[in-house]
Amino acid sequence: MDLNGQILESKSQLLQTANGHDQIQDLRTKAMQVFENEGFPTIKHEEWKYTSLVPILRKNYSLTASAGKVSKEEVEKYSLKTDSYRLVFVDGGFSEEHSDLENAPFTFLTLSNALGSKEEALNLFGKIAPIEDQAFVALNTAFAHQGSFLHIPKGTRVEKPIELLYFTSKAQNEAPFFQIRNLILAEQASETQIYERHQNLGESAALSNVVTEIKVERDAIYDHYKVQNDQRDTALVDNTWVEQAENSFASVDTFSLGGRFVRNNLSFLQRGEHCESKMYGITMIGENQLVDHHTLVDHKVPNCQSNQLYKGIYTDNAKGVFNGKVYVHSEAQKTNAFQQNDNVLLDDLASLDTKPQLEIFADDVKCSHGCTIGQLDEDAMFYLKSRGIRDKEARAMLLYAFCMDALAGVKLEELKSKLKSVLAKKLGVELDFDL
Amino acid sequence: MLTIKNLRASIEDKEILKGINLEVKPGEVHAIMGPNGSGKSTLSSVIAGREDYEVTAGEMNFLGQDLSELDPEERAHAGIFLSFQYPVEIPGVSVTNFLKTAINESRKAKGLEPMPAKDMLKAMKEKMALLEIDRSFLSRSINEGFSGGEKKRNEIFQMAMLEPKLAILDETDSGLDIDALRIVANGVNKLKSQDNAVVVITHYQRLLDHITPDFVHVLLNGQIVKSGDKNLALELEEKGYDWIKKEQAPIG
Amino acid sequence: MAEMAEEDKVLNEVTQSEYKYGFYTNIESDRVPIGLNEDTIRRISAKKNEPEWLLTWRLEAYKRWQEMEEPDWANVDYPKPDFQAITYYAAPKQKKKLESLDDLDPEMKETFDKLGISLDEQKRLAGVAVDVVMDSVSVATTFKKKLGELGIIFCSISEAVQEHPELVKKYLGKVVPPSDNFYAALNSAVFTDGSFCYIPKGVRCPMELSTYFRINEAGTGQFERTLVIAEESSYVSYLEGCTAPMRDENQLHAAVVELIAMDDAEIKYSTVQNWYPGNKEGKGGVYNFVTKRGLCHTRSKISWTQVETGSAVTWKYPSCILKGDHSVGEFYSVAVTNNYQQADTGTKMIHIGKNTKSTIISKGICAGHSNGSYRGLVKMGKKAENARNFSQCDSLLMGNSCGSHTFPYIEIDNKTAKVEHEATTSKIGEDQIFYCNQRGIPTEEAIALIVNGYCKEVLNQLPMEFAVEAQKLLAVSLEGSVG
Repeated sequence: MDLNGQILESKSQLLQTANGHDQIQDLRTKAMQVFENEGFPTIKHEEWKYTSLVPILRKNYSLTASAGKVSKEEVEKYSLKTDSYRLVFVDGGFSEEHSDLENAPFTFLTLSNALGSKEEALNLFGKIAPIEDQAFVALNTAFAHQGSFLHIPKGTRVEKPIELLYFTSKAQNEAPFFQIRNLILAEQASETQIYERHQNLGESAALSNVVTEIKVERDAIYDHYKVQNDQRDTALVDNTWVEQAENSFASVDTFSLGGRFVRNNLSFLQRGEHCESKMYGITMIGENQLVDHHTLVDHKVPNCQSNQLYKGIYTDNAKGVFNGKVYVHSEAQKTNAFQQNDNVLLDDLASLDTKPQLEIFADDVKCSHGCTIGQLDEDAMFYLKSRGIRDKEARAMLLYAFCMDALAGVKLEELKSKLKSVLAKKLGVELDFDL
Repeated sequence: MLTIKNLRASIEDKEILKGINLEVKPGEVHAIMGPNGSGKSTLSSVIAGREDYEVTAGEMNFLGQDLSELDPEERAHAGIFLSFQYPVEIPGVSVTNFLKTAINESRKAKGLEPMPAKDMLKAMKEKMALLEIDRSFLSRSINEGFSGGEKKRNEIFQMAMLEPKLAILDETDSGLDIDALRIVANGVNKLKSQDNAVVVITHYQRLLDHITPDFVHVLLNGQIVKSGDKNLALELEEKGYDWIKKEQAPIG
Repeated sequence: MAEMAEEDKVLNEVTQSEYKYGFYTNIESDRVPIGLNEDTIRRISAKKNEPEWLLTWRLEAYKRWQEMEEPDWANVDYPKPDFQAITYYAAPKQKKKLESLDDLDPEMKETFDKLGISLDEQKRLAGVAVDVVMDSVSVATTFKKKLGELGIIFCSISEAVQEHPELVKKYLGKVVPPSDNFYAALNSAVFTDGSFCYIPKGVRCPMELSTYFRINEAGTGQFERTLVIAEESSYVSYLEGCTAPMRDENQLHAAVVELIAMDDAEIKYSTVQNWYPGNKEGKGGVYNFVTKRGLCHTRSKISWTQVETGSAVTWKYPSCILKGDHSVGEFYSVAVTNNYQQADTGTKMIHIGKNTKSTIISKGICAGHSNGSYRGLVKMGKKAENARNFSQCDSLLMGNSCGSHTFPYIEIDNKTAKVEHEATTSKIGEDQIFYCNQRGIPTEEAIALIVNGYCKEVLNQLPMEFAVEAQKLLAVSLEGSVG
């Protein structure tokens, strides 16, 4: 039985476990109906044209995994080597033991607690991420009871990054299916930096369906970094929806370096004037890996900006997909929307499907997209080699230079250097790229 | 030819011109000088009829016609030419095609037949020689990829082709090296006659070394505060604008 | 604000103009009964005195068509045509077979004159041979003799079926098989006429070959079929013009064009499409659902150029299958939509051979309440070593009630591929208009000038006579007061 069948079979049990406040029960039931009607998308669905879910769905998943344990060293290994607020979840459950919220100037509640009582959380749940035509959001909305609620109060500058670490423990030996929901409220004029990571420590073929709803209020600055470098059997469907009010800045950077199957649905809804959205990403994958980025910027008000820059490097039989959609409504005059997707295919079996899409209904806008697919510049290679740099190093240097633009927006220095060393390692060289 | 009386103009409710008076007669060369933000370019735009500016008071009369009743192209047909400080790029439209359209529209407005291609080509050749412009220039898209100097030379080339009665040169010297400056000035001088007039808007004396003005006006804070002959320009070059500002202070 | 209103007014004025070619020729017409069934197809086939294999081919296509559904993935929205309410064959009735152009029905001749393709004049003008397809059948082909001396065959496809059945049988449906898509299947079942062109090995066709299509009769569909075969090392430039009179009901046009370029051959195919776009309220107009595709063999080149200003709904993707190594595909397009027009157009460049190269230049201009979409596919297969593509898709919006959409699909399965895709959206700058005004050019004229400049890269691809016509057409489509 595929995942769809398994879910339908145990739906009443799942709905019961999800529970929550009366206010959201209707939404959960409705979401379940939507999912039942639509099911998982197939490649006939325009948004899934290039990414088949069949190999992911046909596994036998355990829908109610019991929580295992992780060690302190494991947590350290995958966290930022810096002073931070840390929220650790193991197999979906919150781990107080590994988390660190000392003197946090913001409120954290686990999702189930938040949905039980917290008005702000109830006002956020299902308000930004739509369920129609979004099977994974619908499914998550129906059943998700694990995850975080973060509330950054008005005017608060959170000095340290907040780490959201979701571990799948070694205790999982089947294929667990997790549904995680994050609700983040960045109030007026607040400043927040989030580091999010999903990591499978064991051998299981875990599948996570994560939905994050982020509300960025006026004048707030919000940065969110996603590092996706999971083990080779893990699958992740990430749905991140950001709603921005006037004069706010929000960025989501996605670094996709591992896992077997990663689908990122990243959407920005601009709802206040003079806001700016940024989405940068680097994808560097190899054997049997697939990374699919689907982005949307919905420009609904005038005088806003959006910037997208995605770089991809594909080796072996890796498959990359990029679908960027910029939608400019007729009211959204003076929009500035920029989108760029550059790719390098390094091996014969690597493939790439990309569709940078513009839908424009306003005339006084500046919108552009660009997309390139190419190889390393041979002249540059020759130049480096003629200076005595070996082939592999020369290649690594050029590839690194190719990605560099997309790393430019990372404000966390620790993360930047961590990413650099991961990239170097993946390129198979021991170079210090800071030189 | 051009009479401006008590002209006031504003942009987005901010008043830039605060009562300008100016009289330009055929055969004259006027220089309007002034520091940044004094309203020099606004004045040229208002004369040419740019709609961003609202004329709130005063009058502008050109050869007996009230300019406020004319659209920008009608002013051009009447013989006003503005050499833009920042000429705009129009991709895909060649210099030739653009000029042909411009000349024939003006002729149409005067009830004339389009200019025969042969005559136009001949005129172009002449004027190109005058401004030391290469032939390849004609087939390039207008102002696209032009250097600063090429843009300005293109403006004067168009002026030469359109033969206006009144030419307003807005900061034509900016972005020109010394050779280009000489060529442009030389072109302007050759085109000057007893029947037409030139208004040179500039920051510096530089261009006035080549195009000798009959009158020099100092524009300060939206008003012409001082007028004189070419010596005034030399004085400004030497002393700057501060002394005029001081001179104005007790009155203002 | 007054300024804005003024600008809107001007925009409105320049984007409004009535359809110039909206006149109806009162020629007695020979129609088959309305509706579509096997009988209709048998009748068409019989009327055209077709061989049995072609009838079978048609019937097979019809069977496939019945199993298919009308596509709905394009970004267009229109009431689906009632395929049983269409007349599938309407030939202008003629007293006798034409011996020369002088025998042409005077009224029909007048129609051609109104279209500005006076055959008499065309005949005298060097270089253009014209085949006119009115409603469904080809009524006149000029210059046949001269072409014949070079071994070039240029005639209606009906004639080709009679005179050169072996060629038609060999190539018909080879590039666009009947089962390719809904409209292609429909066309294969009911096509009534179209042009056929064959250039023998090593021959460079000395003149532009041109077909003029016209829908005249009310409630007819035009299903023409064009087949161009360029043998090894030959060259041909082919032009196609289309108009339809003004009518309230929507008329259907579902053509199929197949091009075959053998080794080292080159085909240049240019279209100026000006079917009736409907009135200002979006009533009436032609549905233009066309399948155009070319097959490139080794070192051959196919170049599509189109200027699309007409039709209420356009669904059209002239494509190249770059099968042969070193083959080249090009697509140059200007698509103008105004009022309530909808156009979903673009191209597919399928790179199969090594060192294949494609270029896509698309310029969209949207005004009024229209919607224009670019939809393109660049696909580079596993064996397409060193394939190259450059795409540039620009759109220009005029006013704030229209929409511009860009859907470029890029599918790459080869690491040596090089693809560059760029797209921009812009408007005509107020400073550009003022600059023109200052030089004495009125606003409407200025817009025409700027739009023509914007489209220049594409217009430059057209043969001279066509480029002039296309420029005028752009002006007519966008500038009421001037055109």
